[in-house]
Amino acid sequence: MFGSRDRRVSVSGSLRCPAMEIHIAHVSKDYFSAGKRIVALSNVDLAIPANKIFTLLGPSGCGKTTLLRCIVGLEMPDAGEIALGDEIVFSKEKNIFVPPEKRGLSMVFQSYAIWPHMNVFDNVAYPLQTAKAPKEEIKRKVEKTLRFVQLEGFENRPATKLSGGQQQRVALARALVAEPKVILFDEPLSNLDAKLREETRKELRAFLTELKITAVYVTHDRIEALSLSDTIAVMKDGRIVEIGTPKQIYFDSDRRFVADFIGRANLIEGKVAIAEGPYTIIDSAIGTIACNQNIEASPGEEVTVCIRPEFIRMMEGDTGNGPNIFRGRMESLVFVGDAYEGEIRIGNTLLIARIEPTADLKEGDEVTLHVDPGHCSVVLR
Amino acid sequence: MMHRTTRTLTPSLIAIVAFLTVCPVVMLILGSFSEGLGSFGDFTLKKYIESYTDPDFADIIVNTTVFTIGSAFVATLLALFLAYLNTRTNIPFKFLFRIISIIPMMIPHILFAVSWLLLLNPSNGLINLFLRQVFNLQESPFNIYSLSGMILAEGLLDLPIAYLILAPAMASFDVSLEESSKVCGASNLRTLGKVTLPILRPAILASITLVIVRSLASFAVPSVIGMPGRIYVLSTHIYRIIATGFAADYGMAAAVGMSALATSTTLTYIYRYLTFEGEKYVTISSRGYRPTVIDLKNAKYPLFAIVAGLSCVLIVLPVLVLLYTSLLPYSMVPSAKAFAMMSWKNWAEVLRDPISLLSVKNSVFLGIVGATLGVILSIFVCYAVVKVRTPASGILESLSFLSFSFPGIVIGVGFMWFFVRTPLYATIWSLLIGYIATYLPYGIRPLTSAFVQIHSDLEESSRVYGGGTLYTLRRIVIPLLIPGIVSGWILMATMFVRELTLSVVLSRPGTEVLAVQILRFAEDGLWGKLSALGIIMILISTSLVLIASLIGVKLVEVEK
Repeated sequence: MFGSRDRRVSVSGSLRCPAMEIHIAHVSKDYFSAGKRIVALSNVDLAIPANKIFTLLGPSGCGKTTLLRCIVGLEMPDAGEIALGDEIVFSKEKNIFVPPEKRGLSMVFQSYAIWPHMNVFDNVAYPLQTAKAPKEEIKRKVEKTLRFVQLEGFENRPATKLSGGQQQRVALARALVAEPKVILFDEPLSNLDAKLREETRKELRAFLTELKITAVYVTHDRIEALSLSDTIAVMKDGRIVEIGTPKQIYFDSDRRFVADFIGRANLIEGKVAIAEGPYTIIDSAIGTIACNQNIEASPGEEVTVCIRPEFIRMMEGDTGNGPNIFRGRMESLVFVGDAYEGEIRIGNTLLIARIEPTADLKEGDEVTLHVDPGHCSVVLR
Repeated sequence: MMHRTTRTLTPSLIAIVAFLTVCPVVMLILGSFSEGLGSFGDFTLKKYIESYTDPDFADIIVNTTVFTIGSAFVATLLALFLAYLNTRTNIPFKFLFRIISIIPMMIPHILFAVSWLLLLNPSNGLINLFLRQVFNLQESPFNIYSLSGMILAEGLLDLPIAYLILAPAMASFDVSLEESSKVCGASNLRTLGKVTLPILRPAILASITLVIVRSLASFAVPSVIGMPGRIYVLSTHIYRIIATGFAADYGMAAAVGMSALATSTTLTYIYRYLTFEGEKYVTISSRGYRPTVIDLKNAKYPLFAIVAGLSCVLIVLPVLVLLYTSLLPYSMVPSAKAFAMMSWKNWAEVLRDPISLLSVKNSVFLGIVGATLGVILSIFVCYAVVKVRTPASGILESLSFLSFSFPGIVIGVGFMWFFVRTPLYATIWSLLIGYIATYLPYGIRPLTSAFVQIHSDLEESSRVYGGGTLYTLRRIVIPLLIPGIVSGWILMATMFVRELTLSVVLSRPGTEVLAVQILRFAEDGLWGKLSALGIIMILISTSLVLIASLIGVKLVEVEK
């Protein structure tokens, strides 16, 4: 019945695993806190592809961790169905609930959940011990996995005597040792300091790409989501708002919430003037903006234009009235090392812009700026 | 996913703990309005009127106030001094401070009081005898049978508690607050007075409050030192009402006990408020914390001598005096003659005395069985409070800490009103129930921290990696709990072996316990036998501690 458990004790020589998709259908879950009903998940439908890094991104309280815990079996949804590959692990209708220890998944916890009374070896060996693997096999696999995460020779260290980064790698080794088809990550980098987080993020990306494993990654950090994922699902208030590749989410989001959440953005309110032609033309407080035709919109509709600060170009001198050329005043200019962060006032609107550090500008200057219409996207409110 | 068992767990625990802690209080209140122990009779205020119009009562209140506040100041000032030296200066041999803070808890209070009596009593106290010989004095220079003598002994006894409150507060506050004072040109001493102490004010007040609560409940020092000097405080006054005179009057004892209980409960409430406020007040910086150590320079070794002297007084002296006295037929200053007269006579007599032997047997039984049952109850209570967390667990938590504020002798009177109506009266089981009820917080506290340490992630990750409920319990939960279980057991067992205040009320012929037997010896002035039995008592608790620690270490090793 549980193919995953048979695979656990297999003596396969590589860390490669067969593919496994995750299907989530109509999953809902409510919480009761202080007498109030809180919707954690609201009718979530999701297909998580095999052998890809899939990220659930959203602000805290959006339900992403609850969804992850439903997949692994630490929470029981109120409704819906969850299937790992062909096996249904939860179904309200069919009254199925497979407990977490029988699902054969791996999970890296936010706190790492390294057992403080065990040494590194026992922590990593645990998934094999519960599967009653032979002693020699356990020893061999633990050694191999520790080598893989570059923790050779740490076997007998008490787990509590490790640095944060090392504990993180023990947690990863424990997740990998039984060669699961799916690994779930619950904000695994949030307890590391900024520099280490960046290094570990790259390492993790390398590990997961090499393993060809289905990874479900939960985070509220957009950089993590953009840099690690093959696919991102943005969540809000218990719902999936948008799914796409990192570039789709960043450049061509349809939703104001997503555009705002995924990166710094100038969001300008406006009304659709012309919907046909190469560009959608929007009337806004800063003037007429020619935008990418990324969504269907009809004339007169209230929309928002999203312009990323890095696509605002400063122009030398007065270069006339082309499309998407605006004049304004440099309100503030802060040097942040690799760039200037400027605020430009156009009428009553303040635009933030990222300006190359060599630009010859100062606060109070009258400036002309240009935005490529391909980098102006229309988002729904 | 709450199972039926966990749903009924909290309510049934509330019932058990409420019986243990609320029942004696209810019985005490009922008793104080009743006519006699045997039958409640009509509702009456007679006992209140009788006890609170007693002409001696004003004196007792004055004595109690001076005694408790005096002890609080002695203990807190000494603890401040020690805590400051330990956490903030470069005084040598810092391990001594840990010993000072922990070991005196191992020495039973009654023995500590007796040893000071043997040193400072006016007729044949060793120090008095010595000073009289050396300086050829007619009168003894010290008289322990005084309020100041009682305050000294009680203050030293409560020093560890004060230290355990003050040392962490002193160690954890942000050093930069002091540094900024020094940058502004203030000297070390001025910084101490103007910055350090004011910031520590909540901790200092908490320490004073807690020591007042403890000394109000204290019975060892008031009975051994106060009663022979006819200085009565509330606890000994209650004891006098039920244990001396023609007829024990449990109604009057209950009426007097009510005021002790009310005072103690109020002060405990203040203490909890203060420690809660204190957490907000004392700024603990996680970032850039490094204790700057003040160089004591020339004062280093003189100050250390004071600390070493204190540890002698607290630990070495009581044990030595008892050992010395146990070997002599009567008190005398150490001399060639004294050493020539030493013999094991007192020991032999104690070991042949059937009541002493019975008290050893009873105390060992209460220590082992009582601590085991107490720890089992504590495990369930902590599990319900920390892990199950239903709305009812808040009630359970407050109930389980309720008895912390109960003076033992008062609660003993309350239990007396209860047990006299049950077949448990005058059995060892009445003592057992009373002990567990009174000392439940001692088991709860270490186990609560153990349960808190087991973050739910640790259990959940075990489940994810294939460990079922029982497997997780065996490999993760229990191993992590063992240190808490062991320290809870040790705390309870040592408390039970030396228990005095509850036992003087509940112990009857046949259920004598060690501390009560020691008190009888003290009342009869049999110092040699007392000392021998006292050392037996210390040996018993020390061996229980060692055995429990060894078992704990073994259990953890097996798991690895």
